[in-house]
Amino acid sequence: MSFEEVVLWILAILGGASTLRAILGPTAWDRILGFNLLSSKMVMIIVIFALLLKKSYLLDIALIYALFGFVGTVMIARFVEKGDRL
Amino acid sequence: MRVLLGNILIVIALGFIVCGVYGLFRFRHFYPRVLIASKVDTVGFITLMTGIMVKSGFNFFTLKVLIIVGFFVLTNPLATHSIARSAYKSGYPLPEDDA
Repeated sequence: MSFEEVVLWILAILGGASTLRAILGPTAWDRILGFNLLSSKMVMIIVIFALLLKKSYLLDIALIYALFGFVGTVMIARFVEKGDRL
Repeated sequence: MRVLLGNILIVIALGFIVCGVYGLFRFRHFYPRVLIASKVDTVGFITLMTGIMVKSGFNFFTLKVLIIVGFFVLTNPLATHSIARSAYKSGYPLPEDDA
């Protein structure tokens, strides 16, 4: 278990904790917040994975993931607020 | 020496992120929770990525990580702001006492 693998395990557990928040969250906005935190932790996991494997094309995946996480979070938040007349 | 410094930064960033997730569960109301979770998570992300940049030295890998950090620093507060705004505009009550 090298250092990066331990870091990956810890980040995975923290991602699970933010998913737990999304599951438990009483309101819909807690769920969006859990989704947003999970997507940011996934970006961290992918970048550390890219560092572990010394492959730089994985970083493009992390960037696209962060982009989609951001757009998804904003659109879900607006949908919850305004209904379908967005 | 450089790898050691990077490892220290990564451990500090993990400490930040653990505090963020702890704050996620500690606060009862939504607004302090969204404030703590987003701010601490962004700081943890920046520290983690500087640790990775220090660890991987000066090459195109670090430049790509820098682009990701720049993008994330711009968009994460925006995303969290849109969540809190949607909660406020939809009339979710502000907590009267401290969280």
